[in-house]
Amino acid sequence: MAEMLFSALYETLYMVFFSSLFSAVGGFGLAILLIMTGPHGLRPNAKVYAILDIIVNLLRSFPFMILMIALIPFTRIVAGVAYGSTAAIVPLTIAAIPFMARLVEGSLLEIDPGVIEAARSFGASDRQIIFRVMFKEALPSITLNVAILAITLLGYSAMAGAIGGGGLGALAYNEGYIRFKSDIMFFSVVVLILVVQCIQSGGNYLYKKLR
Amino acid sequence: MITVRNLQKHYGGAPVLRDLSFSVEEGEIFGIVGHSGAGKSTLLRCFNGLERYQGGSVTVMGKDVAALDDAGLKLLRREMGMIFQNFGLMGRKNVLENVAFPLQIWASAGNGPTAFLSGLRFWRGPSKDVTARAMEFLELVGLADKRFERVQNLSGGQKQRVGIARALALYPKILLCDEATSALDPNTTMDILDLLQDINSRMKLTMVVVTHQMEVVKRICHRLLLLDKGVAQCLGKTEELFISAPEGLKKFVEDEFTLIPSGTNIRMMFPRDISQEAIITTMARDLDLSFSIVGGKLERYLDDVLGFLIINVPDEHLDAVFRYMREKNLHWEVLGNGRNAV
Repeated sequence: MAEMLFSALYETLYMVFFSSLFSAVGGFGLAILLIMTGPHGLRPNAKVYAILDIIVNLLRSFPFMILMIALIPFTRIVAGVAYGSTAAIVPLTIAAIPFMARLVEGSLLEIDPGVIEAARSFGASDRQIIFRVMFKEALPSITLNVAILAITLLGYSAMAGAIGGGGLGALAYNEGYIRFKSDIMFFSVVVLILVVQCIQSGGNYLYKKLR
Repeated sequence: MITVRNLQKHYGGAPVLRDLSFSVEEGEIFGIVGHSGAGKSTLLRCFNGLERYQGGSVTVMGKDVAALDDAGLKLLRREMGMIFQNFGLMGRKNVLENVAFPLQIWASAGNGPTAFLSGLRFWRGPSKDVTARAMEFLELVGLADKRFERVQNLSGGQKQRVGIARALALYPKILLCDEATSALDPNTTMDILDLLQDINSRMKLTMVVVTHQMEVVKRICHRLLLLDKGVAQCLGKTEELFISAPEGLKKFVEDEFTLIPSGTNIRMMFPRDISQEAIITTMARDLDLSFSIVGGKLERYLDDVLGFLIINVPDEHLDAVFRYMREKNLHWEVLGNGRNAV
């Protein structure tokens, strides 16, 4: 049973780590676009902002299960296969990018506009303002949001069992629930609880360090 | 240094600046004064292109601000430091890093390989040269010993000193001050004003000071522009304006004095060559009459004391007082307060 748990834990961490990484980067990029084109942004553009806003809301409205199935053809193109842990990373990332974008947008909106104006006043370019002022200032809060993102993806990854993604969620369901092996179910859940605790504590620790 | 001609700006339909024309001379401290919402800060931001305008022109050091492209605007901003009411410092950086920041920005401006390398350097902290230059200005503002302190742990006055050091780090020719002392207590305000005045005289730096605080204007501004709802109320040398006291400035300076309903209120101005305490007592003694002092304001301006007193004279003594004041060549005027309006 320990072996099953360990390999499931590995699959879960594998899916969560890479989908968090990709969606953090993608979400940050999308958040930058939202912030730049937003009403008080560096390059306000109502049309672009409205379109991005709608896309983000649209993707966030999909139930993950449906999105995952709808994305199967796309997953096959990107990952080469439609089933397995690696394939699961694709829909996980796509689902998490708009979520992360909203979280990061919130972090960036919290920055004192005076700091950004000061940077403009001594001649910083937009790129310098984004990476050296906004990103730097918002880093602690973005770190916390990455922890939230990873925990959300941990929950989603359990559903990835539906396309053979494996992991602790799938183990708990397939072995524990369907085959009435309550001990496997129990330990899968315990391990999931521990993973969530670790991610959140890690996030909190980094936040305190960085702030 | 700065020439403004027929400047117009509006947000949507609402006018913010209406037909302003004036110029700021090299080396002077120029005050832009008015109540909040008068358009002062907006006007200041037109100088360095943080705000765009719709009509007229702003020429800074020979460059038409509206005609500049992004790169030109950045170069212009490099020559114009700016300090803010809320300081605009980066909370996660220490004092030294904040002052070094504009230097690092310019070290890595552009797209060349050197710029790219300095860009990478940025994440490791300021280089030796940059640190040396930043320290030079931290010495100037008296915060050299706090260089590794987090900005969050500083007092308001210290934060503004960091802001000043940062604004000076690029050796600007003009310093724009946007309500720089409004968030500070009176004593700290005076310290910061002294520092600004010192910088102005030592570095021959032109300064434009936006403020709603009269003590700021009087203490450091050589000339001032009074704005009300985007309209210029008066423009001139601070000292002359305080003595001639045009209507707009009077309204701005005078707090509401409770005027005594009977008798006539006379406002007496005190330019530098008249000692104010003496004149009131001698007048009372010479004329052998009494009058009440309704209110007044005596202010230190640069190194002089300027101000006015409002006295209330019973109607029967009015002629005697007028005669006396004419004789002594005093500046005075009768205040209209309803019944006794002249």
